[in-house]
Amino acid sequence: MEKKDSGIILSIRDVSKSFPGVKALDNVSIEIERGIVHGIVGENGAGKSTLMKILSGVYTKDTGKVMFDGETIEHTTPIESLNRGLSIIYQEFNLVNTMSVGENIFLGRFKEMNGMRGTHAEARKLLDSIGCDIDTRTLVGDLSAAEKQMLEITKALSFNSKLIIMDEPSSSLTSDELKQLFAIIGDLKARGVSIIYISHKLDEIFELCDIVTVMRDGHVIDTKPVGELTRAEMITKMVGRSIEHEYPERPRCVGDTLMEVRSINTHKLHDISFELKKGEILGFVGLVGAGRTEIVRAICGADKVKGHHVLVEGKPARIKKPADAKKIGIGLLPEDRKLQGLVLRFSVQSNIVMASLDKMTRFGFVNSSREKEIAERQISNLGIKTPSAQTTVLSLSGGNQQKCVVGRWLEINPQILIMDEPTRGIDVGAKYEIYVLMKQVVENGGSIIMISSELPEVLNMSNRVLTICEGRITGEFNPEEVSAQTIMDSAIG
Amino acid sequence: MQTSIAAFGKRTLRALTKQKAVIAILAMLILMLFFKTNFYTSYNLLSILKDAAVNEIIAFGVTLTVIAAGCDLSVGGVMCLSGIVSIQLMNGGMNMWLAILVAVLVGALVGFINGFLVVQQKTEAFIITLGMGMLIKGVNQQLTDAHPVSCTNMEFMKIANGKIGGVVPNLAIYMIVIGLLTYALLRYTSYGRNLYALGGDYDVAKYSGINVIATKWTAFILSGALAAVAGVLLSSKLNTGSSIYGDDTALMVNCGVVVGGTSFAGGVGGIMQSFVGLMVLQLLTNCMNMLGIAPYLQQVCQGVVIVAIIWLDCFGRKRKREDV
Repeated sequence: MEKKDSGIILSIRDVSKSFPGVKALDNVSIEIERGIVHGIVGENGAGKSTLMKILSGVYTKDTGKVMFDGETIEHTTPIESLNRGLSIIYQEFNLVNTMSVGENIFLGRFKEMNGMRGTHAEARKLLDSIGCDIDTRTLVGDLSAAEKQMLEITKALSFNSKLIIMDEPSSSLTSDELKQLFAIIGDLKARGVSIIYISHKLDEIFELCDIVTVMRDGHVIDTKPVGELTRAEMITKMVGRSIEHEYPERPRCVGDTLMEVRSINTHKLHDISFELKKGEILGFVGLVGAGRTEIVRAICGADKVKGHHVLVEGKPARIKKPADAKKIGIGLLPEDRKLQGLVLRFSVQSNIVMASLDKMTRFGFVNSSREKEIAERQISNLGIKTPSAQTTVLSLSGGNQQKCVVGRWLEINPQILIMDEPTRGIDVGAKYEIYVLMKQVVENGGSIIMISSELPEVLNMSNRVLTICEGRITGEFNPEEVSAQTIMDSAIG
Repeated sequence: MQTSIAAFGKRTLRALTKQKAVIAILAMLILMLFFKTNFYTSYNLLSILKDAAVNEIIAFGVTLTVIAAGCDLSVGGVMCLSGIVSIQLMNGGMNMWLAILVAVLVGALVGFINGFLVVQQKTEAFIITLGMGMLIKGVNQQLTDAHPVSCTNMEFMKIANGKIGGVVPNLAIYMIVIGLLTYALLRYTSYGRNLYALGGDYDVAKYSGINVIATKWTAFILSGALAAVAGVLLSSKLNTGSSIYGDDTALMVNCGVVVGGTSFAGGVGGIMQSFVGLMVLQLLTNCMNMLGIAPYLQQVCQGVVIVAIIWLDCFGRKRKREDV
């Protein structure tokens, strides 16, 4: 037994876990070999996160056996897992924003590090070892998502981790940062560290992983070397049905000019001018921090810009705050669903009716039956999977949460819907549904501005693409005519 | 070396100007140069320190709870209670130091109960400690029948009213020593760093293996104990314990802590900030007394200054955030 297991760093056997009403994991067995990158793919709700939380000790398993590095693990706590050499990097970073980089790496280990000086010195060494030059005294709250990712990896290394689990590590990284992450992962692998790489992005799985496990509805469907699977096979296994297309057919209903934006200038934006046509999906491509989000925030009045630069149907629109934008029919799906898009502790219903409450209000009183009716209608139209309209949004999966935000804006029949990273952290099946929704919006006469870090979805959904680099619009393309390479070149500048 | 000194200077300057409370203090100091008062006499400056001491010592304890994303509004009650308890025990014949120790332990016990309810039972710190303060005020009235009690042991008065070398008031020394101790606790011990961590993000701290409950609980105990120490000093200074002291102490101190820059959101701030924050309020009172401003108007000015500082601090942050 021991001999056989020496090549296995982590073995999960017949692990099950139930929550009230749901069997989150059903007899799951996975073995992770030393020094490889093991991908785990599956739609949201497939049980990946539950499995990770059992490994880290946040949840306790109902049945089954977990062996890590030759030891059986029964009950564990997050810190015990870390000390054993098992680190997990969550999608929502486990960092204290109000503290410095160095202190975050050695959180709770101040004494062992001999105070502040030792903390910073050790942190510097570790950061250097992965080629990262962040100042250890910077506040974590001031770091970019990519830098936080590096920090999390450094933190994992500080525990001499033998196995690092990364949950959706690429969801907020640009392609350059992703390359850097891949390089670091390659380096870790060379040092003999095993990696579990959880991702929705199949391209990454194919590029990075040696072995891949597909999960669905709490079961392990298959574990295979990556080379033995095609992309289509993998998708079929993930969704349990074959998806013929990842994208619906490109909508074609572009009409006359609907909105005109004239020379927005701020600290970060320079001479931003463009047009949006009726029934058009306009894609914004650029690196994170290029100014994509700032442009739409300026249009919606979420950030202050001097003067009026937006013309809707030829008339100047006075937009000083998002409420003004709503009045003239501009809806914004913010980049950060959880912080800006949803009130997580509110019910599905409250979140959906949030923007359209005045429609169901008379003399200041809300008509609650109408409120319910609207919520129910959006839930069924969009296929939001929720036990009831009264369930808190917090308990829904990412895809269903995003649909709640979409539902909110569809209810006010927006002329212009601005979608900032509409499919971030959403699985393949739910992505397709969001694309279909986008198509419906433009077919019903609306227009969409779509911002995305995922080039393929912009290329497949947009009628026109603008590339943005360092706060300037650097190019305009017809995605049907040019290659992804051309567009990316223009976006990098 | 040169550059590191320059960098240190720059950092310090930036940290200072970030806190509007520091600017308020500088403004008051400069303003007082233009009036012919006794403000700039060593006697007055030392008496400012002396008068500030009691509230400052309470604030050092409260700062711990605020950094841990809580607050402590029971400190006013605790302050009175410890004064009353120590005097009554002494009048009952107990050794002075033992009586003081008991009084401080009573304060720590109140902090322990606050901690139990807020940290262990996960209740709202604001309401729980506010209610606790009311409860203790009732106890104080019960103990004294709402009459002031004075101490018969004359040694007791000397604790707070003495002067070192006949110049520096004892109270100022106590304040500085306790301030330095709490400063070191927050800055140089793992306890302090863990407190910042759990105030900044409770779950992250928990999952990093920090004993969050014990750490945060201890902050409340220390806050209660320091409020009790301050109470003993106040009673020693006045040679009286009374249930009517400190009705506005709790709000004043928590307010001063926030004015200094220790946010109710937790995870930021420190002892220096709280010292400065409370000093703003103390200095303001002193300046206005020197200038002979009427009491009602003083109250108005105090309110204006507090609101203005918090507003400007938020305004500065908002500007930074919206600077696109």
